[in-house]
Amino acid sequence: MAVKIRIPTPLRQITSGAESVEVDGSDVNELLLALCAKFEGMEKRLFKQPGELNRFVNIYVNEEDIRFLDNLHTKIKPGDDVSVVPAIAGG
Amino acid sequence: MALSELAEQLEQADPTLARYNRQMLWAPIGVEGQRKLKQARVFMVGCGALGTVLANTLARAGVGHLTIADRDFIEINNLQRQVLFDETDIAEQLPKAEAAKRKIAKINSTVQVDAVVSDINFKNIVQFAQGQDLLLDGTDNFETRFLINDVSAKLNIPWIYGACISAMGLAMVVRPGITPCLRCIFESAPPPGMNPTCDTAGVLGPTVNVVASWQAMEAIKMLTGNMDAVSKALFSFDLWDNRYQQLNISKAREIADCPVCKHQKYEFLTGDFSSSTISLCGRNAVQVNNPAVGKVDFEQISRGLRTVGNPTFNKFMLKCSIREGQGERTRNFDLTVFADGRAIIKGTSDVAIGRAVYAKYVGA
Repeated sequence: MAVKIRIPTPLRQITSGAESVEVDGSDVNELLLALCAKFEGMEKRLFKQPGELNRFVNIYVNEEDIRFLDNLHTKIKPGDDVSVVPAIAGG
Repeated sequence: MALSELAEQLEQADPTLARYNRQMLWAPIGVEGQRKLKQARVFMVGCGALGTVLANTLARAGVGHLTIADRDFIEINNLQRQVLFDETDIAEQLPKAEAAKRKIAKINSTVQVDAVVSDINFKNIVQFAQGQDLLLDGTDNFETRFLINDVSAKLNIPWIYGACISAMGLAMVVRPGITPCLRCIFESAPPPGMNPTCDTAGVLGPTVNVVASWQAMEAIKMLTGNMDAVSKALFSFDLWDNRYQQLNISKAREIADCPVCKHQKYEFLTGDFSSSTISLCGRNAVQVNNPAVGKVDFEQISRGLRTVGNPTFNKFMLKCSIREGQGERTRNFDLTVFADGRAIIKGTSDVAIGRAVYAKYVGA
């Protein structure tokens, strides 16, 4: 199933400026792996190691933190909104 | 409260509160809320983009006591978004905290402002945070934010996180023991160089205003005792893409293995994770803290600098463009030394070179 993931500004340098990317997957882990396969450098930004997200990035599905759902195994349905929210420092 | 009752209270209120009429007409604030604001004490860490909007808004709103800390001076490229400063402040070489204090005195002279021209770090933050009702984040880095987060938990004082880049912003209220803290959400900061900063990716004025105005509104709610109205979400937006989200973080306290909330480990406050010389991310500049304690003598430092540049100073800071070496080996640095001996060296992001320049011209 194809899902559109919004790319936040701090990660757009990796997606050559693309604001959203369509990837295939049935759960969050598959979507993110597909995203990493598409863009060099993305994996380092999202994952500490396979199966473990960096602690400065959160993933929300329909505005719910996946840590409260089924974490990386959270299932994705058509129309779900997947947000990558990295910590930002500016100010 | 009935509107007629509010109108009566407004009429009988202390005439010095008349300037806040439009704010007091909002029933959840009223005269009583305005009095609370007047009594309130807020410690603002950082007075750049977010900090100037926060200070401006809260001073106009009548928050009685503001302690404004900032380690930096004003540059021309700050004026695009740092609403309290103008070209005169740059010409007078004023540090940001001092310039903010002077501007606020013209906006609302009833507000008591303490300007702290200093780097806020694990050695001094407790002294400034103690006795405050609220801590506000106007910083531009994670180390200081995690430090605020630690001191907030330790002293049981709420704080409001705010951050922005380009057109994107994030903000949340942290109430110790009640809501998740920043490290429940982001346990660690991205390693240096991994995330763009405002200095590398840019930032638009409206982004700053939205984040800081959101923070200021939450501050006003809390300081007037309207705790039920305080946001419990992580507010995330992108003004360019017209995307606004209230991310649900309500369970983060229970789920996260947070070093602060779960384990009472204050790693930033104890100095375990702190640095005395730091590269100012994206700015091609290094900050060196005074290894000794006490004030420095600008006159004496100037004498040593006259062979390599034309130093100028006032009572707040000394500035000098330094030119070293010749031909291909020429290196240029802009040195700024503050009265407490702290320095910002522009022209390098290498901490070792920064330290060397400091040792040579200011003292080891």
